[in-house]
Amino acid sequence: MADQPEGKKRLPSQENLLLDYARRLEKHKDGRKIVILHLSALRPFNRRDQHIRAAASNFDALVSDMTGQLFTMLNADIFFIFKSEALAEVETIVQKIKYLFDDDPLVAEEDKQTQSFASWYDAATEYDSFLQLVQGMAQSEQDRQTAVRARMDSRAALKAKQKQGEPMTPDVLARVETALVRADLSNLVRRQFVCNVDSKMVPTQSFSELFISIADLRETLLPGVNLTANRWLFQHLTETLDRRMLSMLTKTDSISISGEISFNVNLATLLSKEFQSFDDNIAASRRGQMIIELQKEDIFSNLSSYVFAREFVQDKGYRVCIDGMTLETLTMIHRERLGIDLTKLVWDPELVDGGEEVHSLLKRVVEEEGSEKFIMIRCDNREAIDFGKSVGINLFQGRFVESLIAEDGRRREMLRLKRRIERN
Amino acid sequence: MAEWGSAAARNDGLENTEESLLLDRLNRIEGNASGYFAVHLNLSKLRSNHKQGHFLEIAARTFDILVDSNDATLFTLTNKDMALICRNVDVDDVDGTVEKVRGLFSEDPLTDVSENVFDDPFSTWYDLSNPEDFAAFFAVITDLAVEAEQIHIAEAAQQDKEQQMGEPLAPSNLTEINKTLQGMRVADMIKRQACLQVQSGSGGDLVFFELFLSMADIKERVAPDINLFASPWLFQYLTETLDRRVLAVLVEEDFNEINDPLSINLNISTVLSRDFQNFHRAVDGNMSKIIIEFQIIDIFADMKSYTYARDSLQQRGYRVVVDGLNPLSLQYFEPADLRSDFIKISWGPEFTGDEEESRMEEMREVIAKAGRDSMILARVDSEKAVKWGLSLGISRFQGFFIDKLVQVIGGGRKPRANREAN
Repeated sequence: MADQPEGKKRLPSQENLLLDYARRLEKHKDGRKIVILHLSALRPFNRRDQHIRAAASNFDALVSDMTGQLFTMLNADIFFIFKSEALAEVETIVQKIKYLFDDDPLVAEEDKQTQSFASWYDAATEYDSFLQLVQGMAQSEQDRQTAVRARMDSRAALKAKQKQGEPMTPDVLARVETALVRADLSNLVRRQFVCNVDSKMVPTQSFSELFISIADLRETLLPGVNLTANRWLFQHLTETLDRRMLSMLTKTDSISISGEISFNVNLATLLSKEFQSFDDNIAASRRGQMIIELQKEDIFSNLSSYVFAREFVQDKGYRVCIDGMTLETLTMIHRERLGIDLTKLVWDPELVDGGEEVHSLLKRVVEEEGSEKFIMIRCDNREAIDFGKSVGINLFQGRFVESLIAEDGRRREMLRLKRRIERN
Repeated sequence: MAEWGSAAARNDGLENTEESLLLDRLNRIEGNASGYFAVHLNLSKLRSNHKQGHFLEIAARTFDILVDSNDATLFTLTNKDMALICRNVDVDDVDGTVEKVRGLFSEDPLTDVSENVFDDPFSTWYDLSNPEDFAAFFAVITDLAVEAEQIHIAEAAQQDKEQQMGEPLAPSNLTEINKTLQGMRVADMIKRQACLQVQSGSGGDLVFFELFLSMADIKERVAPDINLFASPWLFQYLTETLDRRVLAVLVEEDFNEINDPLSINLNISTVLSRDFQNFHRAVDGNMSKIIIEFQIIDIFADMKSYTYARDSLQQRGYRVVVDGLNPLSLQYFEPADLRSDFIKISWGPEFTGDEEESRMEEMREVIAKAGRDSMILARVDSEKAVKWGLSLGISRFQGFFIDKLVQVIGGGRKPRANREAN
């Protein structure tokens, strides 16, 4: 479209751009030559992004003075189409790039290879075979994309089925929801602690999240059915679970809710009669010890309801936590403007891989908003805690934290025993 | 507390309405009104999206503590206003509660506290021991009592209409509906709506035609007794089936012959499915004519799938729209970070076009930051909405009003499609 500066947003693949260029080349093929650097044949560790970029940058001068056009394919091959008079210069550059990779078998054992490092074409005489080659590349890129998706589609569905059971249907949902009205769920309520972890990996409990174990619910009600297979049906199910959770929280004899607790609810639940009666039945002082966790998609499905509900619950003394944030959504969603008290950031090893840039970004966000507002969740290993601490996060939740608590418990028990022995 | 528009109040006319009870009360205290005062909360002036029943119930309950522990009564009036009658209650206590209610509606312009205006549009206080104040308040309530009667009649009609909406969509009736949809041809139910780029003085250029299924037609044919919109989540589930039905129609099109760009609403999961691959084959290289619209809740529910779907669509030459936003939501996140080609925001009854300049200025900044060039204002139902959008720097519009405009232009000439798409 002519009226939109969209080049920066949508980048057509280099394969397609090259195809486009190759078609237009037909009219100007005289006096043009082409060199293809087969970097795709390099060993994987030699064709990382930085290697390809370094190789391509050798052509910068010729590209900027319009002597030639450069295309880098997804498979790392480089195409350079240039005016014939620059041939000597281009040959020197290609030689230079070759030296960059002289420890790779493609170059080091050149005589044993079926694939050469570079191939040369003269557009004037070999235009047709060049065009064919480019067409083939564009087509295979398209096929690859289609194949990846097809594989993801059926393979992922099969895998999910084998691992998690038959997918959920509306029929099954109706049965589950009917069963839920009568079922005693108190033995399915799980508690996971959010802890401060010190430098010696000793945890101190801050609050605990209460939730209904979906895996156990499935085992109890409908073994062999994957309750989470369809996002929207599952979301509907959670509204029923919300109501059951609230009624259990009201009857304190059914589950123990000592200390500060958090629980997940839907926005619709906060505005329902069930929440009103829950709120009526708990001691006013308890509200200050309760944290309500909400999902971003729920918040953005009805923002004016959210703003109203948040005002309402915060005024009563509850705190509001946004769950399931990632680095991307952390910077995208204005949590302060939303009046969020706490943010749960999902641990992902990619955060470490993101390098210094991600590191300092996260550090700045945590520092600006206050480290007490952040909780790193789904911490499966020590790396999560180490990374979190390095960006200023002190609160953690997840399997690894649970194991730290267990370990700490054992240590205290040992200490107690030891003291008793010493006293005797 | 009386429920809004409760059946009893409706059938008995003026007898037992909150208004009549309030007037009775005023008559009784008129003789000895010392220590009495009233606060009138003008909640009827809230924007319609803030006037929903559950909001007002929560607002009313905010007064519970005050009413329980003092000589105070809350009347919830038919037009959604509230009146609080107090006797010898500490003004600060009442004020505190009123401020809490104001806080609940802080997104509504009605609750803006303006320094230089003497009147507070949100609440009015009356000292009932002062005969002048008493008379003024009595007159206001008398007017509201008359108004209430009309509202009750209108509500009765509305309730009949709602009953026609049918029983809510539930998991139990969803199976049947879904099954019917799976085998249905929907070609004749596909409607289209133009999105126009409006330039002052020169009509408009077509950006694309959005294709959508008329849900009224679907309901009529599949589930006349069911309210398909009762649960947002179950409705979303249905749209996954609808996506496949729409694609099944579109694969039969010859996209080489299509001149105007088309946009279609799809779930992200659909774009990653085999049905979409078949569609892509049918598009046959004409990706620049196709725009795919995603809903923000679908996007936020699974950002990774969105990123993957967006990249693969844009790489192949499709354009992507983020849909399901309103001007309010732009203040709460950075839509530009979603790196779509267009961002669609819906005009709604909550915007009157006469927002305070400070609010407009803020909105203008937000839109400039998100990228004016990618903005589309949808559900445009009046010229006022277009002017409102233009004043914010938006130039692309869609909605009933635009449809009418297209008809007018269409009389003379078809809206020009954008050059490159031809």
